[in-house]
Amino acid sequence: MYTPESTQAAAYQLVNSVTSPMDQFKCSVCSSVFANYDSLRRHYDTEHPHDVAPVVVALHLNGKHCEIVVNPHWTFQRALQYKFGLTGAKHMCDKGVCGSCTVIIDGRSVLSCTTLAVEVAGKTVQTVEGIAADPKWKPLIDAYCKWDAMQCGYCTPGFMVAAKNLLDKNPDPTEQECREALAGNICICGTYPRHAQAILEAAKEIYKGGNA
Amino acid sequence: MADLVGINGQRENFKVVGKHNLPGKVSYALASGVAKFGVDYALPGMLHAKFLRSPYANARVLSVDASKAKALPGVVDIVMWDDPDMIALKPPGPFGPTRPWLDNYADQEGIEVAVIVVAEDEDICEEALRLLDVEWEVYPHVVDILKGKEIDAPLARPTDPLFHGKDMFARLVDEPKRGNVSRAITVQGDVDKAMEEAEHVLEYKLVLPTFASHVPNPPASVAQWFDDPYTGPNNLHIEGAVQRRDSVGRMYGVPDHKTFQYGIFQGGKYCDWGMRRSQEITPLLARRTGRPVRCSEKREEAFDFLMNQRYIYMKIGFDKDGLISAIDDYSIADGGIDGNASFGTANDQGYGPYYTMKCLNIRQNMDIVDSNRGKMRLSGQHCPFNWDSGTMAIYLVAEKLGKDPIDIAKLNLHGPDSQEDMRPVRSFDECLDEGRKLMNWSWHASGTKKLPDGRYHGAAFRYQICPRHAFSGYNCKLEFRNGQIVLPTQGPVTGIFAVECNAMVVAEELGVGYDDVVVEFNFRERFTPVGGGSDGSTASAWAMKECANILKKQILEATIEGANNPPPPSFFGPPPPANPFKGFKVEDLDIVDKMIVAKDDPSKSLPLAMATMDHLVATYSGRPPAAIWSLGMGKMLDTMNTAYCEVAVDPETGEVEVLRFGVVADPGLVLRPTSLESQIDQVMFFSQGCQLLEEYVYDERTGVRLNNNMIDYKKPGMLDVAHVDRKFVETRDGNAAYGASGVSHSMANTHMVVIAIHNAIGVWVDPPATPDKILKALGKA
Ligand code: FES
Ligand code: FES
Repeated sequence: MYTPESTQAAAYQLVNSVTSPMDQFKCSVCSSVFANYDSLRRHYDTEHPHDVAPVVVALHLNGKHCEIVVNPHWTFQRALQYKFGLTGAKHMCDKGVCGSCTVIIDGRSVLSCTTLAVEVAGKTVQTVEGIAADPKWKPLIDAYCKWDAMQCGYCTPGFMVAAKNLLDKNPDPTEQECREALAGNICICGTYPRHAQAILEAAKEIYKGGNA
Repeated sequence: MADLVGINGQRENFKVVGKHNLPGKVSYALASGVAKFGVDYALPGMLHAKFLRSPYANARVLSVDASKAKALPGVVDIVMWDDPDMIALKPPGPFGPTRPWLDNYADQEGIEVAVIVVAEDEDICEEALRLLDVEWEVYPHVVDILKGKEIDAPLARPTDPLFHGKDMFARLVDEPKRGNVSRAITVQGDVDKAMEEAEHVLEYKLVLPTFASHVPNPPASVAQWFDDPYTGPNNLHIEGAVQRRDSVGRMYGVPDHKTFQYGIFQGGKYCDWGMRRSQEITPLLARRTGRPVRCSEKREEAFDFLMNQRYIYMKIGFDKDGLISAIDDYSIADGGIDGNASFGTANDQGYGPYYTMKCLNIRQNMDIVDSNRGKMRLSGQHCPFNWDSGTMAIYLVAEKLGKDPIDIAKLNLHGPDSQEDMRPVRSFDECLDEGRKLMNWSWHASGTKKLPDGRYHGAAFRYQICPRHAFSGYNCKLEFRNGQIVLPTQGPVTGIFAVECNAMVVAEELGVGYDDVVVEFNFRERFTPVGGGSDGSTASAWAMKECANILKKQILEATIEGANNPPPPSFFGPPPPANPFKGFKVEDLDIVDKMIVAKDDPSKSLPLAMATMDHLVATYSGRPPAAIWSLGMGKMLDTMNTAYCEVAVDPETGEVEVLRFGVVADPGLVLRPTSLESQIDQVMFFSQGCQLLEEYVYDERTGVRLNNNMIDYKKPGMLDVAHVDRKFVETRDGNAAYGASGVSHSMANTHMVVIAIHNAIGVWVDPPATPDKILKALGKA
């Protein structure tokens, strides 16, 4: 049963379970596990000299300081799934076309499928789970659910992140501004007319009393 | 007609059914990114698998030297097509390929062939695939079905002499295949004679482009085997094969109770129910390696067809009023690769636009051409695919006679019971009346109306019958547990808000609110609400209505029993409220607004939650009466829908703007309006996309599909789609829940926009009607 409360709690739990992915220093070639990063590096030098060793990336993810050991060619979307267990950034096109993988990096909507994990070092990142866990944004989630701004729901987190980023910058958007802000998101199910409706309603609720 | 058989089918007052803005039961999980699809699952210690994919459109793997790949660190297993494990693997269900599950033959570029690599991560899989030394035998291919149809064309599938599409609605001609071509013919009446006698004869051609509507979430599964203290050894846990968990289990000889799956989110299916190899292989690989294995597909690996290419050559005979008396349809359709569905080919002959007309002389003759283009899974949104050949017939007759196509459609549509039935169809007439108003319908001949900005104005209209899911029975279960109504279901969730429709009907029948019906997803349950989109769950909702009333009776009986034989007082907690129904009969009571009340004296009441502490379970297995469309295949009519569009065509740039779509549909009764509206939008956007933007492009020389990615294959976005005005007529002339029928995907169309373009500029442009084609048609390029 996914109630508003249980879902918010689930998002909160996901956000808070990403604290220590450094626990496991695992070789991505042979799956050997090491006690620390230096041992892992040495293992690469001796056992897999032709492979590029992973690097440590530190970032602020949904309000938490995190560090991951990640292969330099990994996309951030892949790191979110496999290093942090966060699957809200979906991949539909894997080519920077559909917006399903959108996250907010340093205040900008960014496509995590075309962003390398190493590019995110030192940055502040917010994913859909972080948004969903924050009570401030509950009206946005509520409005999306009330207006069926989703069918299969696969693209929805990407739209949600883009919508939140719009409201961060523009608490009182017009319908056309909503449409333009979401123009980079593809919904195969064709839910397009629903989004502006939901965002406009949520904006009123989130910023009522002018507390933008 | 109407829901005369089901309990409360004639209900007049609705408190829940028909209400807007009731959030979906899983919408919060979807909106917040908590919902997990198959591709999202990762299990500790899992391996990854990748298939070798053919770089050739038609080729055989003669040999593979995998020694270098095997030596690559991180490679755990390499499985060849001739491995005994692979040979033993059998596809589940009736719609899969009839060749071995994986063999050394590839009939499409990019298809899985011959080898699977299992490794520590996907990068290593890909590196290992590159290190395979593969010897190929390459054959000529067919990606142009007009060429493939010729008797001397190369064979698209040399190993496969049969057409594999299953024919549900029409028969293939029982004759040997000629080259790549199988034939299907359906004849009614004497077409040649009727054509000869017709006052007017028109010939025209339609081209249906191949159209993709890929499932948004790339197919993927992860599987592992485990022992369990309760169910014993060799249990299978698989995620990502949601709807077909049990059939995947059967592939591996695992009984249902030992096959586990927790994920319910399946993504948009659009009637693409075909399982992919990535969703079936992981149990085998997990068994071989002793570790969980994940296999996922990239977008370009899962860019399948929703609609096959087809050329339709039409000839129609009609009289001076526009009454059509002869229809001769010759089609050349893409039979696709091995295992292609026969929707879009032979199946269309059994159920199509022509049988909705009074015309008694109909010939459908089809060449189904095997090709190396790709595969269409089971069924698509455009069903049947030749529907708009009928739409175009009506338009052309109207053009020829200087009449309004709506009048021509009305003249030609037969009555409710048969093609000889001359009575009007109420649903159709009501849709048309509303449609004329909605669109301010004012017909003009082609090329005669210019907008103030200089662009040409065009309009088009089409109709369809409103089908609903017709072939499944439903195993419903409801519980009254701790004072709550619980609806257990195995799902899956595919975006059609099916379980929500059912929950609304349950709430209606049990006198509670929508939020009071708790939906519990559990893969062990048997109830699946799936039954077509756009309120197509009216069939499952009919069965659930029966179940709800069985539960209601149980609740009322238990309440009366509690009054007649009250339990001894408890030492714990406050005393329960007095049960005033001693000596009552079930028929004396009702449930209203979560209270059990005496019908004659509403002051006698008891909160439903306090009715009984018994755990009550009601089940109902069954289905509504057969859907009229499935009985008549167009020759019987109940609920109908109509669609309209207006376009503006710029003669200078060739650009087409869809000014608006209009939809007036009669789903019988609207169960869940919010999602019904949204799905109407969806089919219009599908239709806009396939007529203005979308098309597969092949390299004729190599047979390679050039644009199976979302950059080069353009789907409509937020700023591309047109406004959709919608209106619902509710005749209650369907025969599922409360006289509902549903709209399903019948409104998706291939030529309504194209017809509007013709109405604007007076020349035909095949879809997708891109600006270059428009300019060419206008003689400007
Ligand atoms: S998956 Fe990143 S933009 Fe499509
Ligand atoms: S809701 Fe299915 S892709 Fe958008």
